[in-house]
Amino acid sequence: MKRFILRRLLLGIVVMLGVAFITFFLTRVIPSDPAAKWVGPRATPEQIAKARIDLGLDQPLHVQFYKYMGDLLQGNLGSSLRTRRPIMLELKENLPATIELVLISTIAAVFIGIPLGVISANRKDQWIDHLSRLFSVGVVSLPTFWVGLILQLLFFRTLHIFPLGGQLSTEIKLTMEIPKITGFLMFDSLVTGNFRIFVDALWHIVLPGITIGLYPVGLVARMTRSALLEILNEDYITAARSYGLSERIVLWSYALKNSIGSTSTVVALSIGYTLVNTFLTESIYSWPGIGSYIASAVIGLDYPAIMGVTIFSAFSYVILNLVADIIIALDPRVRA
Amino acid sequence: MQWLSDFTMTLQPSIREFRMSFYLLNRNRLQRISLIVIVLLVLVAVFAPFIAPYPGHAISDTNPDDKLQPPSTRYWFGTDELGRDMLSRVIYGTRISLQTALIAVGMALLIGVPLGAIAGGLGGVMDEIIMRITDVFLSFPPLLLAIAMSAFLGPNLRNAMLSIAISWWPWYTRIIRGQAVSIRERQFVRAARAIGTPKMSIIFKHILPNTFAPVIVQASMDIGGVILTIASLSFLGLGAQPPTPEWGLLISTSRTYFLNAWWYSTFPGIAIVITVLVFNLIGDGIREVLDPKTRRF
Amino acid sequence: MTQYFEIKNLSVGFRTFEGVREVLNIESLSIGRGETYGLVGESGAGKTVLALTILGLLPKPAGIIHSGEIWLDGEDLLMKSDREMYGQYRGKRVAMIFQDPMSTLNPVFTVGQQLQRVIEKQQHIKGEANNLKALEMLEVVKLPDAGRMLDKYPHELSGGQRQRIIIALALACGAEFLIADEPTRNLDVTIQAGILKLMADLQQEFKMSVLFIANNVGLVNVVCKNAGILYKGKILEDGPSKQVIRTARHPYTQMLISAIPRDKSEKLKFASLVIKAETEKGCPYYSRCIIAEDDCAQRTPMLEPIDGAQRVACFLAGRRVP
Repeated sequence: MKRFILRRLLLGIVVMLGVAFITFFLTRVIPSDPAAKWVGPRATPEQIAKARIDLGLDQPLHVQFYKYMGDLLQGNLGSSLRTRRPIMLELKENLPATIELVLISTIAAVFIGIPLGVISANRKDQWIDHLSRLFSVGVVSLPTFWVGLILQLLFFRTLHIFPLGGQLSTEIKLTMEIPKITGFLMFDSLVTGNFRIFVDALWHIVLPGITIGLYPVGLVARMTRSALLEILNEDYITAARSYGLSERIVLWSYALKNSIGSTSTVVALSIGYTLVNTFLTESIYSWPGIGSYIASAVIGLDYPAIMGVTIFSAFSYVILNLVADIIIALDPRVRA
Repeated sequence: MQWLSDFTMTLQPSIREFRMSFYLLNRNRLQRISLIVIVLLVLVAVFAPFIAPYPGHAISDTNPDDKLQPPSTRYWFGTDELGRDMLSRVIYGTRISLQTALIAVGMALLIGVPLGAIAGGLGGVMDEIIMRITDVFLSFPPLLLAIAMSAFLGPNLRNAMLSIAISWWPWYTRIIRGQAVSIRERQFVRAARAIGTPKMSIIFKHILPNTFAPVIVQASMDIGGVILTIASLSFLGLGAQPPTPEWGLLISTSRTYFLNAWWYSTFPGIAIVITVLVFNLIGDGIREVLDPKTRRF
Repeated sequence: MTQYFEIKNLSVGFRTFEGVREVLNIESLSIGRGETYGLVGESGAGKTVLALTILGLLPKPAGIIHSGEIWLDGEDLLMKSDREMYGQYRGKRVAMIFQDPMSTLNPVFTVGQQLQRVIEKQQHIKGEANNLKALEMLEVVKLPDAGRMLDKYPHELSGGQRQRIIIALALACGAEFLIADEPTRNLDVTIQAGILKLMADLQQEFKMSVLFIANNVGLVNVVCKNAGILYKGKILEDGPSKQVIRTARHPYTQMLISAIPRDKSEKLKFASLVIKAETEKGCPYYSRCIIAEDDCAQRTPMLEPIDGAQRVACFLAGRRVP
């Protein structure tokens, strides 16, 4: 078991190296004039020349890569063109808001998606199965950004229930002091007993939460259903039923535990999708997370920032998959 | 062109299987409807200039007098901020989406399939190298690579297709490689090796034709996802550029106006949903038909 | 007087791609309380299907029960809903020993966890008492080193060990009616004997009724009071086991018995090849029957008493097969 984890970790590092290499390739080798890209569209020729030296573009490629890796390992992702601030810092600031959304979608995926898949598989071809399957396939066909707009149209414009965007209403932002312990608004406000802020934050997270949570629920429900269908056909399920074990135990313990591998894989995948979906949804809701950051970076052609977010997201995803693989290894058969 | 006739000959049994699967596909009512809708979409895409009421609006004409009109008998889907007929723009958008999706998937296949065949067919060091590269590419969250690549190549539709192809090929390589490995051990390949047929020839004449089926299935299932990806890229500003009437771009532009012009965001979105949905449904159907081959009752 | 366990006119089919395939067609089968009945048949004869039908665990869309009654202690099981089967019968009153221990043990739980689950459900014991009971069950099936065995996963055990776990699981239910589907299949002869003796003892002690399914006539002779010969879902002959074996009337039964090697010198007169065309109606054994006549392909023989409690479904009953 330990050997497996070690091997997997090593593979993860190799992969991260590969990821770094590809991103390096993207920034230095592909563009026609990397220096110009680095300093943006409004740079003067002198700035471009300076950038060329700074980036070491006159050096041979492997030296460049060396410097690049060195920077990466120190956590130096360069500076944003628009704000002139170190990208790493800006990412850290924007991270908590995105994590809130990712957390919601993961919770939804696990606690709504999985049960939906299980029930759907158990009652195959009954009305609840058809409904759930239609829902799942429908939901993964929806463009997330469009869902966001439609929800805003419906619930803000027409029904006036939920706010248009942002984490807090401007009124609160201006009049009250926002607690800042962990950076997680919901957590901080709850812990400091600031219920008005907490409720306000809760109200603001509903629409973005639904927008970003739909896809993972559909995806996980689909995958869980197909995994469970196979499992429920197995002899040990029939045997368990013959011993008089309750459906509750048979489904949620005996059957589900056999699907850990595929389940954790698909949950990891859905988190990956969520991460990218935040790029599409945050700007719609003016949600101050990494997604808005990269969206404005793209518009403003802030290449260093785009690069920074790419590397950061890719690395997170690699780590995420590492965790998922380790969970899969918990299956006793794999350990053998 | 001997290799071509050899190639088609080895494809024969898979073609027959295909026809049978096609038959079975039509059993389910939902699948049948999806199939019909897909045919309709293709027709719309092909005959766009004849179907759209104001074809000029989809390309370059503007009509400032009628800007931001709600849906009416003249403009079924309303108009945008330049007075262009949304219906026509959405219709042309069908053309763009289908075209770009097919090209992107095609390119991905072009890269991924040979690589997979070589990896699986040759084995050894080549296999390891190719698979590691595949792993690295697959470690990027879906879409991320396409976003980054589009940003750096320059935001336009052509680069978007290229970026998608470069993000997508690893999936196909994996599938083909898996197939190739299992076929490699089969009798007829061993026989070919025994008589000394060069490895490359073995790969392309014997292994490749037999590995086609699952990858074609996967590719057709992917079309829905690719359409969504293109729309997402365009939404971010990395794909189609104005005045191209790509659905994602339409929705993106609508953001400024949609609170007072609901039709602007709604109709392109519905177009996306319907298109992606039917492709996903067909993909599901294809998968179900091929999977329970062992569980037929 | 009705027997403790009785099957009447049971007809079961399976939906396949090509249509409905008839799997079981049992006129009558009865088992008295505390008795053992041996059902003998080759693979594919429908034995496991019968077991699953009794428990109400036929695979859902595929299995169809056309007609029939299965009486257990005065109640028709086929009339029961799934809830009732779960609540009153499965495990509680009817338990099953499955045929293939590898596929019927959950691979992601330890043997101990699975055993304790069943004990908790059927005997309503938890905690330490449950643990002790589990150990007890393992000892009953003669599994050594019971303590360590509990923490093993199914794939870590040998075939014989798994088989005994399956038996322990069924016994842990404490049911009064046991269906044993080839319980000694993968076990070597000495353990086989042990298990059979165990079942005989338990039967004596708890007055368990047993439906013993086997593919080997010899086994049946040892433990079972009555025996039935199943072929293609139909019972061709039944009666007191010793009598059926000693004076087999049906050609198929004779074939089965002659296939038991009594000593090396006796040649195996085993004919399992299809020698005539298959027929839709008529005797199901027609196509392999050496002594069959044309009439046998036209009319279906029913079980008729032939000698005391022995019954045969054959028009040519009594003729010795060459």
